[in-house]
Amino acid sequence: MEQLRMKISKILILFALLTITACDGLFDYSPYVIDYSGQNKSVNQKNIKKLFSQKIDDTTIIALTGDTHRFYDETVDFVKAVNKKSSVDLVIHVGDITDFGLPKQYEWANSILLKLSSPYFVVVGNHDLVGNGSTAYKEMFGAFNYSFIYDSLKFIFVNTNSREFKFSGNVPDINWLEAQLQPNDNFTNAVVIFHVPPMDGDFNSSLEQAFHNTLTRYNNVLFATHGHLHHYEIYKPYNDSISYINVYGVEHRKFNIIKITNNKFEIETCEF
Amino acid sequence: MNFKIVLIIAFFLLCSRLDAYSQDSQDTDSAKYTKFLPDYVKLQFAGGIGFLSLGLGYTFFDHRLDVSFFYGYVPIFISIDDLHSVSLQLTGKLIRIKVNEDIDLLPLNIGFFIHHTFGNEYWISLPSHYPDEYYWWAPGRNAGLFIGGEIKTKLLSDKTPASGTAFYVRVGSRGLYIASMFGNSAIPLSEIIEVGFGVAIYR
Repeated sequence: MEQLRMKISKILILFALLTITACDGLFDYSPYVIDYSGQNKSVNQKNIKKLFSQKIDDTTIIALTGDTHRFYDETVDFVKAVNKKSSVDLVIHVGDITDFGLPKQYEWANSILLKLSSPYFVVVGNHDLVGNGSTAYKEMFGAFNYSFIYDSLKFIFVNTNSREFKFSGNVPDINWLEAQLQPNDNFTNAVVIFHVPPMDGDFNSSLEQAFHNTLTRYNNVLFATHGHLHHYEIYKPYNDSISYINVYGVEHRKFNIIKITNNKFEIETCEF
Repeated sequence: MNFKIVLIIAFFLLCSRLDAYSQDSQDTDSAKYTKFLPDYVKLQFAGGIGFLSLGLGYTFFDHRLDVSFFYGYVPIFISIDDLHSVSLQLTGKLIRIKVNEDIDLLPLNIGFFIHHTFGNEYWISLPSHYPDEYYWWAPGRNAGLFIGGEIKTKLLSDKTPASGTAFYVRVGSRGLYIASMFGNSAIPLSEIIEVGFGVAIYR
């Protein structure tokens, strides 16, 4: 009996060691574990740093995508297509980088976007906030609302996923947006990026007018861009000066390039 | 798969046991009560249901089916927030090889589990601020499948009331991971695999 027990113990120890070595990374503790490190942390800050290290010329070129959800293969092809264009200054993802808001989906999507040669910025989408997705977003990318100035252009990313916050009245944060748009010497125009457009049912309807009024207040918004609806359209929903650009969902295998020169923009569609 | 369905199945399985016991009229009262005690306790490492999960359960159909209830815990040093969860795990043991008097080898176990993490963000039924069918899945209801193996020994049987100790391994995945990988070659299989192992002490 004693001998047998020794034998079993030895086999088990060996077996456990083998499993642990062979399966490192395969041991999953929960679908909601968030343990980001390295390239999966402070992604926005890292990309801002990367953006600022680029040489500035008279044209800013932006590649736009969004609603990548579970379209991983399409996202891979999008990255390849954008990398082929040498002059893209930055890539903007208009939200829903995940489908179920799972921490792993954040990692999978980011592992693909990390292959972009250009710096990339992701605004939070409604799907990204399901489960503990809001914590995952903050851990991986940073604050929901953020902005930076590049080449006298202010890029403002704002969380408009009102429904995910039970239409609490704080989303979108109008005061924050207003403060961001207040003119100063550092920027001439602004580009405002969000996921849910203001006329959508997932946007807090009591904030719709205030939101749009804020965008028009200083007459310095070059255009607003959003996702959520998966199709491309450039339109002026409030019949005023502000153009809204609805961005292709990546599954269409199309994306838009926006070229900004002298406070004017032109837009082209690329297929991949 | 609905929690309710799983609970109903579990309930019927329990009823079938109770039925068997009630026919056993020679039992003394205390022996009857002992039979309600779980057939085993399990301690599992990983496998997607906790860093460490403590389980108990019953066996059915001559030890061919284990129905286990686990409480799983993920401590804060593993994840940004600690996680508490429960899961119900059904393990069918398809092949049993008697190696010798003391050792049984069960090389083909298959299983199903349903997993719930505690916390408001892990809702099971769609909260009222969403329109019907706004999201088709529920973060609080994760189900998955696994395959595994087990070695059943007489360890601990001579010094304790336990009849034996089993060691098992399970390799699985869950619906939301499989759905994520479906139609994509960009996600390697290893990314959606959840490996776990554990020990079961049988009564």
